[in-house]
Amino acid sequence: MPRDSLDEVTDEALLAAYARGEAAAARALSLRLVPRVLGYAARLLGDRAEAEDVAQDAMLRLWRAAPGWRAGEAQVTTWLYRVVTNLCTDRLRGRVRRRTDTLEDAPEVADAAKGVEAGLIEADRMAALDAALAELPERQRQALVLRHLEGLSNPEIAVVMDIGVEAVESLTARAKRALAALLAGRRDDLGYGDEV
Amino acid sequence: MAQDDLDDLFAAARSRPLVPSEALMARVLADAMAEQPKAAAVRAAVAPARRGGWFAGFAEVFGGFGALAGVGGAAVAGLVLGFVQPATVTDFADSLLGAEVTSVTLIPSADALMVEE
Repeated sequence: MPRDSLDEVTDEALLAAYARGEAAAARALSLRLVPRVLGYAARLLGDRAEAEDVAQDAMLRLWRAAPGWRAGEAQVTTWLYRVVTNLCTDRLRGRVRRRTDTLEDAPEVADAAKGVEAGLIEADRMAALDAALAELPERQRQALVLRHLEGLSNPEIAVVMDIGVEAVESLTARAKRALAALLAGRRDDLGYGDEV
Repeated sequence: MAQDDLDDLFAAARSRPLVPSEALMARVLADAMAEQPKAAAVRAAVAPARRGGWFAGFAEVFGGFGALAGVGGAAVAGLVLGFVQPATVTDFADSLLGAEVTSVTLIPSADALMVEE
């Protein structure tokens, strides 16, 4: 398959090409999907190294699913987001268990939030956002990240989270209100102080 | 925090996607290559039956399609000589036998072969 034409090929077609033994398809799929999978996992976990492990694990499951993939049955990205959601949920539960055992090691994102000061640069605004996201209940965080940061539609999120569309709308609305409240005290820090 | 501020923050976050490290991409691609041969092996096992068919198998007996083309050519030439009887064949028989020949039997009749002495 010529390299130039790969951009226009669907994820599903690339996955089928991978299953037929085309090495270029694996590379094209990785370049397309790994950044999305990594970004989503990082926002759910608040830890880059753990997110990288989840991204690799999710992609491994995709490679293994490729030969048996049935055309039209599921969207590749939706399937991957679902896998990442489940992998992150498992890790977060394990983290809670470890924390209750040791009662130490606050999450990395919470530390980042404490360092937020006035006149933040863009990276710090992102750190503040991530810290606030980490404060949200898990399901609200998943729904909000999928909707507003990953750009999925509500029906797609419903598939990823295995819930109804109305439940997605409710979760994202509550998450947005909670996030606004969490960030309200840092409005000046986030660079919105001069606005009316 | 106002709704617009929140949307602005989301837009800023979307415009700064995480870039995977080269090490992560290498790990993912290594997994992809390690898992792919299984699919390729399945394809290779299925392919000969799909690609060849009975004629390819038949041709293989004679050493492939090239050899079979030669056999086919000789058979066609024999048929042409037997049925068409070109003038050069009868002329050649005339000069060889010294008598006028109207037709040449290239394949002897079964009767001639079965004569007992």
